[in-house]
Amino acid sequence: MGRVLRPIVMTTYNDCVAQIQQMLQSTVAKGEVVGEDVDLIEELGLASLDVMEVIEQLEDVFDISFPINELGDVRTISDLARRVQQLTDR
Amino acid sequence: MSLLEKLEAAQRSQDVLQALGVHAIGATIDVAGSATEGEIAGNRVVLAGTNNYLGLTFDPECVDAAVNAVRSHGTGTTGSRLANGTYGCHASLEQELSDFLDARSAIVFTTGYVANVGTISTLAGPGDVIVLDADSHASIYEGAKLSGAEVYRFRHNDPEDLAKRLRRLGERASRTLVIAEGLYSMLGDVSPLKEICEVKDRYGAYLLLDDAHSFGTMGTNGRGLAEDQGCEDQVDFITGTFSKSLGSVGGYCASRRHDINPLRAQIRAYMFTASSTPSVIASTRAALKLIGKRPELRTRLWNNAKRVHSALSQLGFTLGADASPVIATIMDSPQQAADAWQMLLDAGVYVNLVVPPGAPKNLSILRCSLSAAHSAEQIDSIISAYSLVAEHLLSRPKAAAGGSL
Repeated sequence: MGRVLRPIVMTTYNDCVAQIQQMLQSTVAKGEVVGEDVDLIEELGLASLDVMEVIEQLEDVFDISFPINELGDVRTISDLARRVQQLTDR
Repeated sequence: MSLLEKLEAAQRSQDVLQALGVHAIGATIDVAGSATEGEIAGNRVVLAGTNNYLGLTFDPECVDAAVNAVRSHGTGTTGSRLANGTYGCHASLEQELSDFLDARSAIVFTTGYVANVGTISTLAGPGDVIVLDADSHASIYEGAKLSGAEVYRFRHNDPEDLAKRLRRLGERASRTLVIAEGLYSMLGDVSPLKEICEVKDRYGAYLLLDDAHSFGTMGTNGRGLAEDQGCEDQVDFITGTFSKSLGSVGGYCASRRHDINPLRAQIRAYMFTASSTPSVIASTRAALKLIGKRPELRTRLWNNAKRVHSALSQLGFTLGADASPVIATIMDSPQQAADAWQMLLDAGVYVNLVVPPGAPKNLSILRCSLSAAHSAEQIDSIISAYSLVAEHLLSRPKAAAGGSL
């Protein structure tokens, strides 16, 4: 018998973006979606603690740990999604 | 943004406090006449926000030791520990700390902040991992940043979240330094240290405990939270400070499990900063002896803490944690906290005001720290000042039972 191949569920960049946008739903008017390139702090007006909270939720959803050394590099949903996607790939 | 514009932006958090109309941050204590009384802005106040848990800053034995040392050894060492700044008294204090904690070795630093930054940044380096409690002190974050290690936070006081993070690290868990504190200084809550020890042992990681606020205040012999929870042998490294229970200034790192002496030649914050003056070391040694000799100091501290905690709860305040030497009352807003702080000061009681972004969970807190040296009358004054705040500022009815976070 050959090896049993388990299906590999890949998390895509788009999955991450969608997840983050859903988490940020409460910060925008109903029906609106935060754009991928909106600056979370400067434009959306989140406090750094709010960003941390979003990251903690992402860590639980994707079973990853996000290094705090890299927090300074996260400005937009796109930055965050790219890094989360890489971390799920490890 | 230019160099200075950036600093101006940081200044805005200070401006928030100025706008609240109080001068709570860096309030000047013009006269500190005793361990529990001082003068602020011309008012005589009971000091209930100075971390002077055992009230030893004016203890005659400590004061005499400091005076004698300054007369015999001068005002300063004028050098670092690795050059000309190690006197016999520094070595003696290290031995006495080792004996007290039953540690293999101990290293004395010039401040508690430096002890954390120096030790953490040296123990872990590039390629290693640090997993720290989210509510850690600034010196822990700073040491972690300086180390060059990969740094993760675990949810405050949550061993399960810590376990998840160590599991995700796989084999790298054995290159991981976990960092937690004993008694957390802002909310007065205590870490589930025994569970944290069990988790880090399960994954083969190392643990550094910052016991700044529990050294001298907890444990049958005052050895801190690890003694209290019966897990001293599981803690790899303990750091702490002389500026709380020991009533002076300085810090240490000690270990029961490892010989930390080799770190001396690697910790830059030890090698390249001036050592503590002999008078500081002398009063610290005297205070350390008193912690051993006078367990009644701890009893008195905890009795005072329990009295205030129970009274504030009955007054309807929401409190940060169970009774401990730090009692935090959670206020509704920064403005309400600032008004309450001023009201307490006007009523002759000094506590600490902590508002966002400096407070955990974005809370606005009045932080009261108790002392063994507070008399029953001073405790009465503290409670009656808080009752004024409850009467004038709390939205809840006075009779309502206080909640807890």
